[in-house]
Amino acid sequence: MNPQIVPIHRKESFREDGMLFVRTEGILDTMVNAPLVIAGLIVVALTMPLQTSFSSTRMLDLTLYSDGSAHISAQLDVDPLDPDFEVDLFGTSIDNFVVVGENGFLLSSEIIDDKAMIDTFGSSSITINYDSHDLISKEGRVWTFSLDSPSDYSLLMPKNSIIVGMDALPSSMDLVNDQTKLDLSPGLTEINYIFSATPPTTTPPTTTPPTNDVSTYALIGAPIIAAVTGAIIMIKRKQTKSSPILQTEDIPETKTILNDTEKIFNLRPEMREDDKEIIKFISANGGEALESDLRKKFLQPRTTMWRAVKRLERQGVIEISKKDLQNLVKLKQDLEEEE
Amino acid sequence: MKTIVTFGLFVLVASMALGGMTSNVSAAEDPAIFLKIAKRAQDQIKNQISDDSSDKIKTLFEDGTQQVKLLENSLGSDDISSAKEHFLSAMKIFKEISRHLTTSDGSSNVAAQAESRTAHDSVRNPSNDLQRLQSYVDNLKTIAKKHNALIDFSQIDTLFDDARQQIKDHQFGDALDTIHEIKQIITDINQELREKASKQESQRAKEYAQKYLEQLDRLIENAKKQGISDEIIEKLESARENLSSTDDPRQIIEEIKKIILLKNQFDLTEHDELESRILQVEKTLYKLSKIDGVNLDTISEARDMLQSIKDNLNNGEFETANELLRDLAKQLAEIKNSL
Repeated sequence: MNPQIVPIHRKESFREDGMLFVRTEGILDTMVNAPLVIAGLIVVALTMPLQTSFSSTRMLDLTLYSDGSAHISAQLDVDPLDPDFEVDLFGTSIDNFVVVGENGFLLSSEIIDDKAMIDTFGSSSITINYDSHDLISKEGRVWTFSLDSPSDYSLLMPKNSIIVGMDALPSSMDLVNDQTKLDLSPGLTEINYIFSATPPTTTPPTTTPPTNDVSTYALIGAPIIAAVTGAIIMIKRKQTKSSPILQTEDIPETKTILNDTEKIFNLRPEMREDDKEIIKFISANGGEALESDLRKKFLQPRTTMWRAVKRLERQGVIEISKKDLQNLVKLKQDLEEEE
Repeated sequence: MKTIVTFGLFVLVASMALGGMTSNVSAAEDPAIFLKIAKRAQDQIKNQISDDSSDKIKTLFEDGTQQVKLLENSLGSDDISSAKEHFLSAMKIFKEISRHLTTSDGSSNVAAQAESRTAHDSVRNPSNDLQRLQSYVDNLKTIAKKHNALIDFSQIDTLFDDARQQIKDHQFGDALDTIHEIKQIITDINQELREKASKQESQRAKEYAQKYLEQLDRLIENAKKQGISDEIIEKLESARENLSSTDDPRQIIEEIKKIILLKNQFDLTEHDELESRILQVEKTLYKLSKIDGVNLDTISEARDMLQSIKDNLNNGEFETANELLRDLAKQLAEIKNSL
């Protein structure tokens, strides 16, 4: 899609016959009521862009720990003309609070109860990270997470936790390092969970298909067969084109590559397991890969992969450059010097 | 006719208001995850129920199992709304069972004991504290790099390694001592970093004040053009003088807050709101121009439009500037969505 910039509001010239519109029996009533409604329309129209422009949460990620604490990471849009900004925190028991402006500079802040006053000095977006001890409660073996979120958010459940109750409908669910990750909508959510000795499995749900007649099966089966055949043809074609990803996957792993990744993992012991997989792939791909290829390989949405790449960049493991207007992710050679 | 006009306008107002509200609603849910979560909860509860469990628990479990079956059937027949209902009902029942199991004696089977032990251990085990601190220190490292602060993190990195090893060896007491040591070092690092950051903050505050002064000049100029009383203009000019004479970040915030009060008092905020939104749109445009696959002609057209908005604002044409700005924001959102 390639949308063009075209002003939506254009002044229409009214034709003479347009006046016929007001020559009605109820002209008096119309003239009394219409201005009121129009005024309402204008008020709504003026306030609408402001509602969405300022002080809105752009990204909100929560990580729950098994000791009942939670890490909150949020990115907020703020008014660049305001010198400071007040943020509502999730709780009053706050630790490790740190806030940076859009350029990554540390911003001064003061926490009073469940609010933080941040000196933004013209930043239009801020990133906040902190730990809260007020979002999770425990009754017997049942832990309860509750949050009234102002925006969509992601929630990473603790390791080995099993959800046994929830009053909200998640929009998606993933497994990240054996931890369940949910995407949830704004509003009040309560999730109850207990800890299990075994981690959650990745087995997809087995939905029992409803009893259908032969024609229904044929109707469903035909497109599937067509899709599978198409996919096989596509794969075959791709193989003949010898794409760099497939090529590198076929190349036997050399000891050097293995050593390189091991060295990286030793130097960055805190690295997440899914990030390690990305590093292994880049390493096996000759030390560099396009971000779009990483997305394809790991079947991740653009934002998730972008976050992972930025995380690795912050850890000093990779560097990002541009190649044919695309992000090229390269393993850094001088990793030891970076630390 | 009056009814039609009123109804039409009402629909417009309602659609604009609701449009603003629904724009933040999350993406479509994947209904398959409901079954995944519900089945996992069902299996977990099943493991906890023994022959000794009360009849109430057993009946509740049957109800829950029935809801899971209905959920499965609903999914099979693509009845998403009833699938949601059955999911929420099932999870509500499983939560109730978990609470009952927590309080009743019937939960003392092996699986429950194992879970209890896992949760109990995780509370004593300080690995969560360590994880949170590691995440905090990672943030501090990134900020230190951004501020070009030569802070030595080697000692704290070693302590993190020590603590990890101690946890691995189940020497939790020693690990807690190491964590205590880490916290002390973090306090020092934090102090050092905030001192460095405050110097740069002072510079940013000055730059911000300078931008604000320029914006204030434009406001005063427009106020004069619009024939606003001399008294108000004098007050604005005096506030401008006070702001320009200070370099202290806290003082800058105070002075700007006084100016904002003044603007609110004399209803001069329209200009400010437009300026803020222009700044935000400008930043969005800049970010979009850096994304792969964006049509550069489109970006160029958007830039021209932004310039035209600025010209309108400088000429006191708030209405036109507002309309164009809203159009541009919509166009940018479309570009963003198309990527």
